[in-house]
Amino acid sequence: MPVRTPHFPDLLFGAAARLRRWEGVLMDLLAAHGYRELHPSLVLREPVPDGTLRFFDGDDLVALRWDFTVALAGLLARRFPEPPDRVAYAGAIFRRPAQPWEAVERFEVGCERIQPEGEPSADADVELARLLLAVPSALGLKQAILHLGNAALVRRPLEAEGLSPGLAKAVVAALSRRAPHRVREALGDHPAAARLTSHAEALLSDLDGPDTLKALDASPYADFLAGERDHMGRALRALLPILPANVDLRVDLADVAGLDFYTGPTLRLWAPGAQQELAAGGRYDRLFPELGRPWQAAGFCVRLSRLLDLAETRADLFEQS
Amino acid sequence: MTNNLLIAFPKGRLGDELVPRLAGTPLALDTAALKSRVLRIPTATPGVAALLLKGSDLPRYVAAGVASLGIVGSDTLDELDMDLLELADLGFGACRLCLCAPAGVALDELKARPHLRLATKFPKATEAWLAREGLTAELVPLSSSVELAPLLGLADAIVDLVQTGATLKAHGLVETAVLGRSSARLVAARGAALSEPGRIMPLAEILLRALK
Repeated sequence: MPVRTPHFPDLLFGAAARLRRWEGVLMDLLAAHGYRELHPSLVLREPVPDGTLRFFDGDDLVALRWDFTVALAGLLARRFPEPPDRVAYAGAIFRRPAQPWEAVERFEVGCERIQPEGEPSADADVELARLLLAVPSALGLKQAILHLGNAALVRRPLEAEGLSPGLAKAVVAALSRRAPHRVREALGDHPAAARLTSHAEALLSDLDGPDTLKALDASPYADFLAGERDHMGRALRALLPILPANVDLRVDLADVAGLDFYTGPTLRLWAPGAQQELAAGGRYDRLFPELGRPWQAAGFCVRLSRLLDLAETRADLFEQS
Repeated sequence: MTNNLLIAFPKGRLGDELVPRLAGTPLALDTAALKSRVLRIPTATPGVAALLLKGSDLPRYVAAGVASLGIVGSDTLDELDMDLLELADLGFGACRLCLCAPAGVALDELKARPHLRLATKFPKATEAWLAREGLTAELVPLSSSVELAPLLGLADAIVDLVQTGATLKAHGLVETAVLGRSSARLVAARGAALSEPGRIMPLAEILLRALK
């Protein structure tokens, strides 16, 4: 049965004005912290993945910009011998959504913090989290929740135990569903099944404030992951004193969204009652080395299309302007 | 937009098992409403209502956040692969996903057929089993009364859920292979569970205590 969904939304007066205003306040916020705008072309000539809007430019298969991070990485690796340390972006991306109710054309504002490989990154991670904490007030959200996670809490044990890509994918899918019983099912009689199941149970046992880090004590990988735990502890100590009154901070040890991309700390912004995260980001230190550049990077993206939808369906979550 | 919280319960076999178990709990369903034709049933907790849904539709309501919690068979979850949280295996409603053929037809005989036709409501699980076994087959997608397909020549065999085996027996079919197992699962909308755990998780706990 063909279903027509608003995959290419036309924004009428109120929504169009809101998008323009939100892009403006967020780009001003980022500029005030030293982030300079780059605007990669709407057409990308990199290897074109599935799910993109593809077309031929002469004999070349190209695609509409499907992801700002990928577009910026290509631009930076091609054009800059040394990376600008702080960049920002705003505009539309086009990508087939995983869920049928999400549009193909989506509006985003985001930023990236880029450093030479090997430079200490903890301060950059905290800087990004502080910036994201300022986003709810900038957009007029009455309440928000910032989830802090760390992709390495899952990625490193899976790599250390030598799981096949297929089995690792099944474990990550089970964690994404927050279902430790599915982790047990997926691992079956694998030699590391008991350890990894116990680790999954520890990661999923709590989703709350800073004390959630203590849940790692119950993991068989507690010592192995001491570095990640220290990193998260330092970030929490830096962020708690400056936490805005309208933002709750929660530690999500089992955040596995985008695990094939993120390598370290992750950030997710929610509003109470929102069905989807409103902003997301983290550290992705493998991206630039894959493009031949010895740089490390982290960033976040504010999903303005989801915020526009939320403003229509849950106006009560926003200050009246 | 209502701020009432909705819990999606399955109609049919699973629903028949769970409704009596909820009696006397804060999520007991209103008996008068249950006897009517309405599909949105008040519970004993003000502000919390139950939706009675077909199992194959239920995950979509939860994944979209319309219902904050739900109970559904793991077979349906696996078939639809929606983005939602699976908080617990409730254990009840256990059944097997089986390849079933007319009595006297062995598994090896089915595997040897050059053009095997399998009727099923579970094409994804069937395709995964065929891939594991290194087999190819024509899938005949059906939504009900699958047991009729081999009797009427629509398919050579079926892949379907089996609980007691009585329906199979009545149609002259026997289990030839077990493809997987299913049971009731407690699911939650990702957004509701992650952004409002204080509102959702106490209700999930009530369901766990009553149903597990």
